[in-house]
Amino acid sequence: MDIQLKRGLLDVAVLAAIKDGESYGYQIIKDMKPYVEMSESTLYTILKRLEAAEMLTVRTAEHGGRLRKYYCITEAGLSRLDAFKAEWGEVMLIYQFVCKEEKSNA
Amino acid sequence: MRKQEFLDALRKKLSGLPKLDVEERLAFYGESIDDRVEEGCTEEDAVATLGSVEEIAAEILGEIPLFKLAKERIRPKRRMRAWEIVFLSLGAPIWLSLAVAAIAVILSLYVSLWSVVVSLWSVFAALVACALSGAFVCVGLAATGSGATGLAMLAAGLVCAGLAIFLFFGCLAATKGAVWLAKKILLGMKLCFLGKEET
Repeated sequence: MDIQLKRGLLDVAVLAAIKDGESYGYQIIKDMKPYVEMSESTLYTILKRLEAAEMLTVRTAEHGGRLRKYYCITEAGLSRLDAFKAEWGEVMLIYQFVCKEEKSNA
Repeated sequence: MRKQEFLDALRKKLSGLPKLDVEERLAFYGESIDDRVEEGCTEEDAVATLGSVEEIAAEILGEIPLFKLAKERIRPKRRMRAWEIVFLSLGAPIWLSLAVAAIAVILSLYVSLWSVVVSLWSVFAALVACALSGAFVCVGLAATGSGATGLAMLAAGLVCAGLAIFLFFGCLAATKGAVWLAKKILLGMKLCFLGKEET
C-alpha cells in the first residue's frame, strides 16, 4: 500500500483505539491486532506525531509499582475521526464502483 | 534475552541519536515488556515478540531524517578547549577540503547512478524515434517511387522498434535497481552515524 496513505490510515486507527477512553501502548497494540498488526516502533512514532498535533494528551500514572503512560484523545482528535468518516464515505463509494466494474468485466 | 539486556543493546545501537529521544523510546519498550510479563508472558518471550534489536534500530532509523542524524553526530559532547578551537581553525584548509571532497564523491556517485538510468532511457527514446521516422520516410520514399530504399528504411525502423521493446524492460529493471541502490546508500550513510559510539 502507498506509504503516505497507510501512515494517514494508521494515525486514525490509533485515534479510534483511544476514542472510548484512555489507553496505553500494549493495550492499543492488542486492540488493533485483529485488524492490523503494528510494531512498537511504529506505534511510538504515531503517538508522538498525534501528540505534537495535539490530537491526544499523555499522562504518566503508577501501575503495579511502575510507571505507565496513558494516552487520552482530545477534541481535535475526535473531530479528526469525524472528518475521516465523512471523507471515507466518498472513498468507499468509489471503491464499490471500482469493484462493480471488475465484476461486469469478468 | 532478558529485558535489561535488550534495552542495553538497543541503547548501544541508538547511541548516535538524541539522548532524550532514545530514553523515551526505551521507556516505551520497557513498559510494553512489563505489560506482557504481567499478562503471564515470560520476560524472554516478551522480548522476543518485539523483534530483534537490529530490526528495531533499522526501523527507527528509517523514520529519522539523515539531516537530523548528522546534526546530532556533529554536535560536540562537551565544551571545546581553547587549544582544540585553535587546532580546528588552523587545520581548516585541510579538514574542510577533505570534507568537501568526501561530499563531492558521494554526490558524484549518486549522480552517476542516475545518469546510467537517464542514458538508458534516452537510448530507448532514440530507438522509438528511429522506428517512427523509419516508417514515415518509408511512406515518403514509396510515394516518390524509390520502393527499394523505402523498404530498407522500413526494415531499419522495424529493427529499431524491436530493440526499443527489448530495451524498455531493461530500462524498467535498471530504474528499479537504481531506486533500490539509492535507498541502500541512504541507509548505509545513516548507519555510519549510529552504533559506533560507545556510551
